[in-house]
Amino acid sequence: MLSFVISRLLSALFVIFGVSCLVFFLIHLVPGDPVEVMLGESSQPADREALRAALGLDQPILVQLMNYFNGLLHFDLGESLHSKRPIADMLMERIPATATLAAAGLLVAVIIAFPLGIMAAMKKDTAWDSGAMFFSLFGISIPNFWMGPLLILFFSLWLGWLPVSGQSGIESLVLPALTLGTALAAILARMIRATLLEVMGEDYIRTARAKGLSERAVIMNHGLKNAMLPVITLLGLQLGALLGGAMITEIVFSWPGIGQLTIDAINRRDYPVVQACILLISLTYVVVNTLTDLVYAWMDPRIRLGNAQ
Amino acid sequence: MPHLTGKHFFALLLLLPLSLLLASCAAPDNGALRFGLSKMPVTLDPRFSTDATSSRINRLLYQRLVDFDAASMPAPSLATWQKLSPLHYRFTLASERALFSNGERLTSEDVKATYAFILDAENASPHRLTLARSIERIETRGDDVIDFILKEADLLFPGRLGIGILPRALIESQHPFNRSPLGSGAYQLVAWPDDTHLRLKRRSDDLLLEFIEVTDPNVRVLKLMRGEIDMMQNDLPPELIRYLSNESGITITHGAGSNFAYLGFNMEDEFTGVQQVREAISLALDRDSIIQYVLGESARPANALLSPDHWAGAPALHQIAYDPAAAKSLLMPLGYTPENPLHLTYKTSSDPFRLRLATVIQQQLAEVGIKVELKSYDWGTFYGDIKAGRFQMYSLMWVGIKLPDIFRYVFHSTAVPPEGANRGRFIDAETDRLIEAAEAANTIEKQSELYQQLQHHLVQQLPFVPLWYEDHVFIARDHVSGYTIARDGNYDGLLDVKRQ
Repeated sequence: MLSFVISRLLSALFVIFGVSCLVFFLIHLVPGDPVEVMLGESSQPADREALRAALGLDQPILVQLMNYFNGLLHFDLGESLHSKRPIADMLMERIPATATLAAAGLLVAVIIAFPLGIMAAMKKDTAWDSGAMFFSLFGISIPNFWMGPLLILFFSLWLGWLPVSGQSGIESLVLPALTLGTALAAILARMIRATLLEVMGEDYIRTARAKGLSERAVIMNHGLKNAMLPVITLLGLQLGALLGGAMITEIVFSWPGIGQLTIDAINRRDYPVVQACILLISLTYVVVNTLTDLVYAWMDPRIRLGNAQ
Repeated sequence: MPHLTGKHFFALLLLLPLSLLLASCAAPDNGALRFGLSKMPVTLDPRFSTDATSSRINRLLYQRLVDFDAASMPAPSLATWQKLSPLHYRFTLASERALFSNGERLTSEDVKATYAFILDAENASPHRLTLARSIERIETRGDDVIDFILKEADLLFPGRLGIGILPRALIESQHPFNRSPLGSGAYQLVAWPDDTHLRLKRRSDDLLLEFIEVTDPNVRVLKLMRGEIDMMQNDLPPELIRYLSNESGITITHGAGSNFAYLGFNMEDEFTGVQQVREAISLALDRDSIIQYVLGESARPANALLSPDHWAGAPALHQIAYDPAAAKSLLMPLGYTPENPLHLTYKTSSDPFRLRLATVIQQQLAEVGIKVELKSYDWGTFYGDIKAGRFQMYSLMWVGIKLPDIFRYVFHSTAVPPEGANRGRFIDAETDRLIEAAEAANTIEKQSELYQQLQHHLVQQLPFVPLWYEDHVFIARDHVSGYTIARDGNYDGLLDVKRQ
């Protein structure tokens, strides 16, 4: 297991390095001059050159890359071009909001998806199954930018139960979490149904039944556990996406997370902030996927043994 | 390795989100008047602010030497001035003036320190250029008098001193005004807890005001309807304003604005560089219908960059007519008809409302024989293309124009980007001559006359088609009173706003 963990961590480090390089070069390829963004359209060439030198943008691209990595190694992401605030502070302010929303979305998804997926699998080809899969299709089909306002209209405006948007307490989390979670639940429920149906046809399930175990025990202890591997993979990928900032949902609900910060920075051409946000999103994906791989190996010895061999 | 059962796994899966949920509780409502914004200010340091929201909120936090009256003429604010010579202006601070919110008295040294900081090229203030062109040096005479010595005569100089004054001691200690503003304005900062909430307090009566960022206009409207915000200004599509006008408990106030929308042309292009084509386009646009049906009557037709009520505006300028038949007859000799149309591209931003306006213009031009291909881009790409001259037609808006030196910036032949904003590459000797003559005028009256001549000349040359001046719309719940709309859309109405 240790060698598996080490190989996965090394691989993650390599990916992080690659992503950092890619982000750096892509940002420098984007049209637009950050110096002009800072000084305005009518700034004088002398002022522009002075600022370019002050920011180190007059140096060769490889020197800039080295400086960038030097900053990263010292956890220095630089300053926002517009607000002049340290980017690390800006990210640290936003990460809890995004993590909270991601966690809440995941919770909603799990609460909805597991009963729905198990029910659909257990009552295959019945009205229950059709109903569950219809809900699932419904959830996948509705985009968040429409689902969000619909939920706001119903729960906030008509019923008056919940706030429209913002981050003003736990009640303000319900609607964005529902919006995010419903779409994820739909995908997850279909996955659980499919994998559970596959697993429930295996010999060991027949053996468990033959031993006289209750159907609940068969599903929970044998079926579901073995059906979890692809579900965990999916959850890992989705969690990575959620932690990277659910941009649409954050914008609809004015949720002050990473997604909204990224969009704002792109609109303002605040390149260092864009760079840091993309790097953070990429890092999140890498970390979550590495963790998923490790959980995967932990749950299925064949994976770590196969890797060791 | 411990044995992980399915139950343990699910318990972990649920516990992690639950713990984060419980940690997410934020501060409850604090009873403040809440103002919905589409974008929060970028910086509360007036030496660096360039976006509209920052500038508007900075006006509440800081006082400035000079402001503008209803005709956009410079007017005393924190100071009155005397023109001792064409190169020497003396500003005297009002004897009764508010203290900085830390209790310190604002003096001439604070004024000098603020402008000296901006003038220092190392500080990279975006306001440096305009001031550095004019100011030779700044001298203080006691606590209340500041002398500005100029490099060259500048009739408009007082109008350039609209930047908020900061305390010298804090400038020297490199205080982070961007997040912790400290001025002598009517409001002071209470808290800026996150990037979507900004809390201020009115110093005269401790009224709390909270700016809340709600990016999506639909959600902003829903928040207003539910009472989660109390007021907002602008940044709403007309259909949402119409929708709100039917709601009880909500008051909508319109105010004439000076933000100028126009259709710009690339004068170096083989098609839009032709005078007849530009004239045909101007005649083909039914601006009144667009204002009535698309803008919901929230605009006034424009004939020039400066509105007629500006001191240098041209109220006698004739209205550009809607005459599709004349437009067709101008295109006919060039070989273009509705059956054999002229093909042009029209670039605009990806803002849905601007795109809708572009679609209407596309349809109106099609009727006279101009087939327009719309290209919409995100703001940065669009703006980059416009500055680089990669366009045939585009639409944009000039916001917050106060001084007529905008004409040099936009139309003078030396102002082609990056030197200025002559994005259409309009090169015209008569325009240059009128701009230079106006700048050299000895009196405001003469200057006004020359700028009016210039505006008549521009309507004939048509380097752009003036479209309209968009109104400002203030929407509030009924318990909000006392707010007046400013012509430039600033938030000075918050100085007198009340909760009934």
